[in-house]
Amino acid sequence: MLITSLLMSINQLLPVVILLVLLQSLLKLNQRMLIATAFVGLLCSIIYVQSAAWLSQLFDYRGLEFSQMLLCVIVYVASLVSCKQRHLFALLAIVAVMALYLSHYFIYLVGFWHNTDTAKPLLIGTSLGIGICGSFGVLLLFLLHSVRARFGVYPLMLFLAFNASAKLLIALDLASQIDLINITSNYFDWRAVLVENSELGRVLKALVGYEATPSKTALWLYLAAVLVFIGTSIVFTRQFSQKEPS
Amino acid sequence: MNNCFGFISLLLFSVLPFTCVAKEYKLILKDHLFYPAEIIVPANTKLKLLIENQDSTPEEFDSFDLNREKVLYPNRRSVIYIGPLSPGRYEFFGEFSPNTARGAVLVEGKTDADN
Repeated sequence: MLITSLLMSINQLLPVVILLVLLQSLLKLNQRMLIATAFVGLLCSIIYVQSAAWLSQLFDYRGLEFSQMLLCVIVYVASLVSCKQRHLFALLAIVAVMALYLSHYFIYLVGFWHNTDTAKPLLIGTSLGIGICGSFGVLLLFLLHSVRARFGVYPLMLFLAFNASAKLLIALDLASQIDLINITSNYFDWRAVLVENSELGRVLKALVGYEATPSKTALWLYLAAVLVFIGTSIVFTRQFSQKEPS
Repeated sequence: MNNCFGFISLLLFSVLPFTCVAKEYKLILKDHLFYPAEIIVPANTKLKLLIENQDSTPEEFDSFDLNREKVLYPNRRSVIYIGPLSPGRYEFFGEFSPNTARGAVLVEGKTDADN
């Protein structure tokens, strides 16, 4: 139970921390804004958890996937628009990613909390997970700040492009899961190189959306989403720098 | 900006479906175990997994091999579509109880290349 709690907390918290750190490095969000956003994000996650069981029964048991797909698209679009130095969209992306990932962990917590045998390992696992993700976030923050100081904002935008596009891959898998789209059966199989549930596989999944067995449709979507993101964010950055007096 | 939203919508819906009827397989989660633990299915066929969680706690159906992830709420039904799949073994597990809730989809039959 301890290991499961630890893995669950890392799996669900790491994507939130990574997006938060990325947007913070890119937009220099102030602390008050971040605290308010974290509070709203937590509230949204709790509301989402409360309604998730009911939501899951809607649209022929497809309601949960529809809501998760919507959150994935919100993360992608809001991250993209935030490149125009729109702080509100960055905060919206953070709230959406919190609702998407933290709700999973809350479901796990709520489900097992009442059991006296599991409460202690749950608490220890969660604390360790928060600690590990926090440390990872701090290291990433320093790394991204030094990258920005040395190479400018474009490498960060590229990283954000990969990270945000990965959310569209999740939406694609969800759409396929509820039979909304047909994905090609020709899967690539990179499990011999790197399995998704290894340590590096999990980190890469959270950073850039690594999948060991992606379909061709997924690869094309990922590539197109990254290119659209990069192209649009470069236009946004140039527009913004033209408006700003030097 | 409108062009951007239009392009994203186009991307998302350009792969929209020619949905076909999927064969249904029932899976039960009880005492943190999947019944049956192995499902034998034909190759290159779309499948509908109807999963019923009979436990009092939630569970998350997870599969790295199938790229599927779904929360199974206590005493509720959930549906997951998978496939068409090539012959092989595709493992799945319950993320909340990974030591006990484990199973696999065994895909048997000829591939398109064999035909």
